[in-house]
Order: sequence, then structure tokens, then C-alpha cells
Amino acid sequence: MRRAGLHAVLIVASILMVLPFLWQIVTSLKTLSSATAVPPTLLPEGHWANFGKVFELLPFGTQFLNTAITAVARTAGQVLFCSMAAYAFARLRFPGRNALFAIFLSVLMVPPQLFIIPQYQIMADLGWLNSLPALIVPGLFSAFGVFLLRQFFLGLPIELEEAARIDGAGPWRIYWSIVLPLARPGMVALAVLVLLWSWNDLFWPLVVNTDPEKMTLSAGLASLQGQYQTDYPILMAGSLLASVPVIAVFVFLQRQFIQGIAQTGIKG
Amino acid sequence: MQRHRVTEALWGYAFIAPTALGLAVFYLWPVLQTAYYSFTEWGAFGGHTWTGTDNYVRLIHDPEVGRALVNTFAYTFLGLLSIPLAIVFAALLNRKMRGVGIYRTFFFLPVVTMPVAVAMVWRWLYNGDYGLINYVLSLVGIDGPNWIADPDTALYALVVIGVWTSVGYNLIIFLAGMQAIPADYYEAAELDGAGPLRQFLRITLPLLSPTAFFVSVVSVIGSLQLFDLVFIIAGSGNAARANPAYPRLETVVQLFYDRAFVTNDRGYGAAIVIMLLLIITVLTALQFRLQRKWVHYA
Amino acid sequence: MRMRGTTRIGTALLGIAALALTAACSGGGDDESGNEKVTLSYAVWDQNQKPAMESLAAEFTKTHPNIAVDVQLTPWEGYWTKLKAAATGGAAPDVFWMNGPNFQLYASNGVISPNPEQVDTSVYPKALADLYTFEGKSYGLPKDMDTVGVWYNKTLFDAAKVAYPKDDWTWADFQAAAAKLTDPAKGIFGTAAPLSSFQEYQYDTIAQAGGYVISPDGKTSGYADPKTIAGLKFWTDLIAGKQSPDLKTMTDTTPIQLFEAGKVAMYWGGSWNVSEFTGNDYTKGKVDVAPLPKGEKQATIIHGVSNQVGGKSEHSKQAWEFVKFLGSQPAAEILGKTGPIPAYNGTQTAWVAAHPELKLQTFLDEVAYAVPYPVSKNTAAWNEAELTHLTKAWSGEQPVDAAATELAAAMNDLLAKE
Repeated sequence: MRRAGLHAVLIVASILMVLPFLWQIVTSLKTLSSATAVPPTLLPEGHWANFGKVFELLPFGTQFLNTAITAVARTAGQVLFCSMAAYAFARLRFPGRNALFAIFLSVLMVPPQLFIIPQYQIMADLGWLNSLPALIVPGLFSAFGVFLLRQFFLGLPIELEEAARIDGAGPWRIYWSIVLPLARPGMVALAVLVLLWSWNDLFWPLVVNTDPEKMTLSAGLASLQGQYQTDYPILMAGSLLASVPVIAVFVFLQRQFIQGIAQTGIKG
Repeated sequence: MQRHRVTEALWGYAFIAPTALGLAVFYLWPVLQTAYYSFTEWGAFGGHTWTGTDNYVRLIHDPEVGRALVNTFAYTFLGLLSIPLAIVFAALLNRKMRGVGIYRTFFFLPVVTMPVAVAMVWRWLYNGDYGLINYVLSLVGIDGPNWIADPDTALYALVVIGVWTSVGYNLIIFLAGMQAIPADYYEAAELDGAGPLRQFLRITLPLLSPTAFFVSVVSVIGSLQLFDLVFIIAGSGNAARANPAYPRLETVVQLFYDRAFVTNDRGYGAAIVIMLLLIITVLTALQFRLQRKWVHYA
Repeated sequence: MRMRGTTRIGTALLGIAALALTAACSGGGDDESGNEKVTLSYAVWDQNQKPAMESLAAEFTKTHPNIAVDVQLTPWEGYWTKLKAAATGGAAPDVFWMNGPNFQLYASNGVISPNPEQVDTSVYPKALADLYTFEGKSYGLPKDMDTVGVWYNKTLFDAAKVAYPKDDWTWADFQAAAAKLTDPAKGIFGTAAPLSSFQEYQYDTIAQAGGYVISPDGKTSGYADPKTIAGLKFWTDLIAGKQSPDLKTMTDTTPIQLFEAGKVAMYWGGSWNVSEFTGNDYTKGKVDVAPLPKGEKQATIIHGVSNQVGGKSEHSKQAWEFVKFLGSQPAAEILGKTGPIPAYNGTQTAWVAAHPELKLQTFLDEVAYAVPYPVSKNTAAWNEAELTHLTKAWSGEQPVDAAATELAAAMNDLLAKE
């Protein structure tokens, strides 16, 4: 009985969560006229050609590759750099630690819109406009990631680390072979979030890169929006195609959470 | 012992060096520049003249700033609702159960849905004449408002979308936090005969508190920086301002954006963003001070 | 005035990078001799026009084999931010699209350069040539143009037994038609009076009422003028009389959506709406266009995009050659086959002929009495004030004359700062 109630709650909540995504699927199969009609029609139509048009309008393969390279590089960079810094802030003692952490945090407090023009300038100074490094490099560093992982590390039991220290392990060994494996769920969460933000990041690629061959998919899709007219069905079709890998990665990574549960062995 | 300390400190600096360098170049330097420009009249294409505290004096007397602050605070406060919701759903999804992977994926979908699609759905739900919400209300004889165009309801309509969007993000973080709780705690509790609710209250919540603290700090910061969501339901630029509820929707970052990028009043925009930065700093510091009362570190 | 060292280094680096880039693209060399190969960057914001721009570029390269053109699309939403970021660093494209509201800002800051030689601009509508003149100098050449008309739903006219608009109809005729077409039982409104795009609504009726938005010297606001207020009242009266949906309804569902759902009978729209209304399943075959009704005088706003040479372009000579080509008759004829109305007089027949079922000639005939889009050095600042103040009149919170008078004061303050 309890289980049935639980499923009922989860199903209702799931419908709310899934609705816009379903809407996106339905819209991707409509004509433009029926996509913008009022009141909206909810029945799916069969305009599969919208998916084909995405490939005509965009260098989909290249942009897909750019998106993937950018996302993977940013994710790998952040997971490594952020976990290193987070470990230092959580466990190592050094003068100025709190002040430095506060400065790191202050970056998180700045609205991201502020960075558009200055970062563009830096990219121009470096001669990186219209290149993949322009997409990747600023995204390698994140105060968010440092803070997230620091909180995770602080929550880990310290006994193992102390035992290792007594055995003579240096900070790098403790970080690499004890803390990182223990903090895997946190790293996975950060990886999912970074991947997602990178995948969906729209404005920065649009501003810093111009050549369609050097753009990411989300920016490429944005260029399909006209000043007066936007073909929503094609836009939605393109966005669906673009989001498939992210969903796949999530479905795969969320098993990490299940494996964790298998170890903890709670029953519902 | 002394040598050991020095070594540890050196390691500490080495560990933070890559991120520190990157943040300094790409993030801190622009902030310092902006702080400087907030004391200038800053042209659309970069030229500037020093005007002292003029921008700040103007800011104090600008009713639009006050209005945007009130909206932003209200949104931030109400938006905190997403945290308990995310914790509850994370607890429900943190178990071995048939279909749990599917539920998790469903909860994750808002995060990958295209913003344009999100906007279309919510605009339809909230539509005064054709919307689903008002249709349901009409069945019970209530004539619903134009939710996003009515000054009395627009902000709440916005909060609902904000909570809806952030539950998915926060869920990912909370699920991860729950994973890090050692299994033997639960085993011991089970031996003591504690039921699921008791386990949740006595073990999960306290041990999740570092994660909850993180989510709380980040959510407050994110809400105070609210920007995109208003675009999503009210459109950008002139279309947004033609909404009669705009005075109840306008946020501080939007005001900053409008001054910095639309009306070419960049120095004033810089002052607005520095003001916001100070407010966020104070509120974050306050949260760090208060964490001693409720956050349990291992 | 920039003092920062990094910017200077940046500019130097940028110069090197630009040189390297040019070298990479063209095999090196400088542009003085005119025989070296160069690649011009050409920034545009409309995906739909990109193919036409690319064929124009190819056409140009045929006669100028040493000049290649790279068409760069940035969608409207990001176009101006990106251009600003690029211009701040001196890296603006060689040639780019410019619109009226932004023109004087870019001209006064030297981001675009005045034409190096006198060109005969009498081949374009005068209002457009004037729009792109700043402090007596002309900048770039007009590319396209648009005017405003009344799009009307013939089916709704037939159903309400209202005669189709005549070319010489007046405000009174329009108001009478709107009243007759309005059918509350069916949820049909005679017209819609939105606030989000002044180009098709407020600016037109202000001119028709004999009022003005901004004085010819660009120093004072016209919003306190009784005639200007009459032009605004034209719309608020329609809302008060329920011949237009109220502002809340138009916020939920845009007038164009209502028009395409058969809920609004007359929609004031631009010549750019042709592809929308001929493509939409509902409006296809059901609508036609009439000139704007006459108030105290006949008027429509005319606006058009121009092509400009970047003020810091490394290849300004070649860029100007390209702009001249884009402003020429052959280029206009290529544009007219697909895109918006070309600005070059006499090249618009292809555009009109593309849809013989519509009276598209209307948009061209209106040019005779068209007034230019009102602009100043910082148009965006008072565009925002217009909305902030007039929203109160449109929602009925404040009488229109009070709102307009407050707007005039706010706008005068902003103009004084320019």
C-alpha cells in the first residue's frame, strides 16, 4: 500500500517534470503553423522532415563534435582542478586559507552576464577568437565546483585519511587514492552538472565564435531563430537531437547512484 | 613538526594553484575592472571618465533599483522552497525500487529541455484565455487571472517555474550527498528498530547538512542573480517591458543588463552589479556564520 | 582614453593575430597595392537572408577576384552584444548590417566610417538616406526597406459584411470597421493595439496625427505635443472601446498569434510579414494588405537596414567597394528575388511579383509619404522610457496625456545626456 502511494506521488511529479519535454517532442513533429496556433493543439503530427532540415541548416556533425569536445574538456578540467582545490580547502592547513576560499566564493557571487565583454577582450588579446580553446578554457575553472566538492570532502569520515597519514602517505597520495574514491558520488554530480551547463551554454559560444564550424550545437540552434520568424518545429527537432547524448550520459551515470545504494543496502 | 607544516602549506597552495590562476585571470580581473568602472561614466565602446560616487548616489535615488531589489528578495525567499522539495524527492528516489532509474531520468528532463520549449509550455499553462490552469479553474467556477501579465500573480508564477527548474539540479546534488552517507549508520539504526522516517530524520538529514548548506548558499546566490527566467516568460527587451506586470518581475541583474548592454549606461550598470555583489556577500557571510548552528561535519 | 596596459598589448596581439589570420586566408600581403587577396568579414543577423548574402558575396568576387567575403551570421538576440564586444576591442567586422536605432551610436563613436566618396543617394528613398546621415556625412548604403500596412482578414470582413479597406481610407473608416468587426460573442476583435513594437503602431499614428516623436535636431521629445498624444490616444481608445484586446491579453497571446487564429481582423504589420502570412496555414489565401488609414495626414514609418564599413577595418578600401556593390542595382535585384524589399528604387518589381495574390505594391506606394524611423545618438535609452511610461496608459492605470507628458520629461533628460 505504502509503495502504491509512493508511486502515485512520483508519477504525478514526473508528469509535471516531463510535460515540457513531451511538448518539445510533439512540437518537433508539427508544421510551423500548428506549432504557433492558439489554442495549442496537443496531438502529434508526423512531420519527420523537420529532423532532416536540421542537418540541411546546420553543420550538425561538426557542431556536435565541438560540443562534445568542449563539454568533455570542461568536465575533465573542472573535476580535476576543482577537486584538488576543494581538497586543499577541506583538509590542508595553510596561511590565508579562509581568505582565499572567500575570494574563490566571491567569483560565484558575480552575475555571469558581467563576464561577457571582459572575457571576450581576453580571448581577443590571446588571439583565441573563433577557436575551440575560447570555448573551453574559461570553463575549466569554477568556484561552484570547488565549493561543491569541499562540502563533500568535509562530510567524509576523516579516520581513513589519518590512518594513511600515519602510514606516511603525502597529501597527493591521500587525495588521489583515498579521498577521490570516497567522494565519487560528488564527483559524478559535478561531472553531470558541468557537462550539462557546457552542453547547453549558448551565449558565450555565440559571442566568442563566429564561424559555424567553430560553434557548439546550442549556439548553432540559436542562429536558427530569426528576427521576425522562428521555425519552432525545426528548432525543437534540433534541440531533441542535441539532448539525446546528455540524457544517455545521465541514464548511465545515475547507475552510479544505484550502485552506491546496493552497497548501503537500504530497502524502501 | 615545523617542516611538516611548511610542506603541508606548500601542498595546499599547489592544489589550489590551477583554479586560483584561472579564476584570477578570467573572473576576478573583470570584477576588479567593473568595480573601477562603477566610479566612471563608461561609454558603449569602452571610453570612460571618472565621476566619483555619482553612479552610487544616483542608484540610491533610483526607484527602479528599489523595486528590482524588492522583487529579487521576494523571489529569493520564495525560491528556497525548492530545497525541501528536492530533499524529499531525493530521499524517495534514493532507494532500491522498481523504476527508480526512470523516475530519476524524468526528474532530470527539465534540465535538458530546451528553454524555448519550457517557455512555450509555461506560457500556455499560464495563458489567461487558453491556458490549462484557467481551464481547470473554470471547471470549478473560478475565473482565473492572466497569471504572468497580472501584477498580483506574476511573481508567484515566476517562482513556480523557478522551483520547477531547480528541483532537478538540486536533486542531483542531494542524491550524491545521500550516497556519501556510510551504510553502517543505517544498519545500526535498523537494528535499533528505527523506521524509514526516523532514519531520514535522525541520519539522513543531519549527515546531509553539509550538502544542504551548499545548496542553500548556491540557491540564494542563484536567485539573487535571477535573469534568464524572466526572459523565458516575459520575452526580452521591449516585449518584457510591455508586460503590465513588469514592475513586479524586474530583477536586479536585468536592470544591470539593460543599463550595461541596452541603454549604453555601462558605468551605472557596473555600480548596480557591485551593489548586488555586496548584498550577496553579506547574505553569504551570514549563512556561513549561521551554519555552525545546523551543519554537521563528519 | 583607455589606459589599461592589457588593452594595448591586446590591440597589438590582435593586430598580429589579424595579420596572421589574413595571411592564412589569403597567402599574405598588405592591401595597399589592391592586387593582393583579402578576405572581408561581413556580419549579418538574419538566417533567412544568409543564402542571398552568400550569393551576393560570390557575385562580388566574380568581378573582384582578389576580394573574398566571409558571411558571418549572428542571430538577432546576440548580434548587438557581440558587435559591441568586438568594437570595444577594435575587432569589428569589415562590413556589417546596421539598423536605424543603433546607427548614430556607432557613427558618433567611430565604429563605422563615413563614406570616402560622394555617392548618388537619390536612387534610395530619401527617408532612408537621411536615416543614415550623421552630422552631415553619409555612412554606408541602404540595403533594404520596410513600410507598414494594415493586414486584414478577408473572411472576417465578409462574415461581418464590412467592405474591404480602400486605399484612401481614414482613421474614421478604420475605427468604424474595427467596431463592426468586433464580435465579443465569438471572441473576435476588430484590431489589436499592442505596445511592444512602436514601428508598426505608435510611431505611425503619431505621424498621421501630425505629431512627432523627436525634434529634427534630435534634442527634444515630442511626446508632450497634443498631436503626438492624439496619435497615442488612437490606440488607447481602441482598447477602452474593446475593439482591441487589453494589454494583459496581448501579453499572454501576441497579436500576430491572435491574427493567425482568426481572433483579430486587422493587424498592423510590416512588409516583412509577407513570408509569415503566406506561409501560415490559417492566413494563407485569407488575408490581404491595405495602406495605413489617413489621419490628419497620410504617413507610414519607413525603416531599412544598411551596410556599413567598420571604422577600424584593415581593408577599408575593399570593404567600401563591397558596400558599393551591395548598394548597386544588380545587387538589389538579386536581393529582391528572395529577401526583403531592396532599397534601390525601381528594383522592387520582383519582390511585388512574388505574391500576385497580395496587393504588395501598397508597401511601395506608401514610400511617397513615408517618414523616417525616429532615432538619436542613444535611441535605446528613450525606447525603454517609452515603454516604462506608456505601459501605464495602455493598462489604464494612468490617462494617456499624463503618461505622455511624464515620458516627454524623462526623454528630454535622456536626450540632454547624449
